[in-house]
Amino acid sequence: MKNESTVIDVPAESSSAMKGSAPLIGVARDHTTNGSGGYKRGLSIFDFLLRLAAIIAASVAAGTMFTSDETLPFFTQFLQFEAGYDDLPTFQFFVIAMSMISGYLLLSLPFSVVTIVRPLATAPRLLLLVLDTAAMAFNMAAASSAAAIGYLAHNGNQNTNWLPICQQFGDFCQKTSGAVVSSFVSVVFFIMLVVLSGVALKRH
Amino acid sequence: MAKESTTIDVGEPSTVTKSTSHEKKKGFVAAAAGGGYKRGLAIFDFLLRLAAIGITIGASSVMFTAEETLPFFTQFLQFQAGYDDFPTFQFFVIAIAIVASYLVLSLPFSIVTIVRPLAVVPRLILLISDTVVLTLTTSAAAAAASIVYLAHNGNANTNWLPICQQFGDFCQTASTAVVAASISVVFFVLLIVISAIGLKTH
Repeated sequence: MKNESTVIDVPAESSSAMKGSAPLIGVARDHTTNGSGGYKRGLSIFDFLLRLAAIIAASVAAGTMFTSDETLPFFTQFLQFEAGYDDLPTFQFFVIAMSMISGYLLLSLPFSVVTIVRPLATAPRLLLLVLDTAAMAFNMAAASSAAAIGYLAHNGNQNTNWLPICQQFGDFCQKTSGAVVSSFVSVVFFIMLVVLSGVALKRH
Repeated sequence: MAKESTTIDVGEPSTVTKSTSHEKKKGFVAAAAGGGYKRGLAIFDFLLRLAAIGITIGASSVMFTAEETLPFFTQFLQFQAGYDDFPTFQFFVIAIAIVASYLVLSLPFSIVTIVRPLAVVPRLILLISDTVVLTLTTSAAAAAASIVYLAHNGNANTNWLPICQQFGDFCQTASTAVVAASISVVFFVLLIVISAIGLKTH
């Protein structure tokens, strides 16, 4: 193993003016805003805006599913003439899950503000990344299970004799499908949030 | 402005070399103290990936072979059940197979993070693609779970009959596959967290 020795001038004070001409000088890791701090602050602001958009998407999904009741004006022989989200346990799970996701996003806004104010701190970003990953998986589970039931409601299943109820409950089906789409949009926002936190954690 | 000059030994990059100099000079020593710690994380990541490969291949193949033919004749239900009778289960088999092949293809990247613990780009690639694949796995597992739940319990309001009462074996096999896929979701969450901690600066 070869050992090389070299002499490096270390000035007593490191100022941002030295950065351009002496790339070997270690930047003191404090909370002053330097070049990479500004870039990370931009990422944090984008993160905050994405969170606001995801709150809207998640709460719209929960609200639409919650108010998707429909009562048919006529009498049918073998089907109930009322349909609501609480008739299907999967849709109940969807409403509860999307409400929890909206609540989590609201509570995570202060952490996002902290990453804007202190762009170089890694602990808030790591916490947000871990929680966002879990929330994203939860969101995706609710969205896709509701999508599977929605698909079944639209198309039915001949092999199991499950009839497509959308042919009777058109409005109910439309609203639930809209709620599922909004929930998938929220998942896309979560993916972007996780990737953003990952990129911002990376050192330069 | 007072200037200080100092001599620094720059050795071969290895995880054993640790800098004992002033904190300001820690940045440009080739092997920082975080290298060994990150290498441990990368090894754990590799092992998790191997376990996830096993589980996803198991889930996909179990669902693929979940067939049952009833020995007797029933009036209004088909007396054969297989994964291809349910579009959701078809999606499940295909999606989990894609996830398994992704995991195999991501093993080289994981090895690169073991060999070069301080490299940022492989970890970032793994983080991003693991996030995308996590959503695919969760989607497949959750959709199949909702259909399995319906098959077990039925729904009185929509007159959907619980078919598990006739097709017990098929239901059990399908449920096992869904459970295995859910375990792989947990593995993916762990993989993402490991990549994020590995990316973090010290």
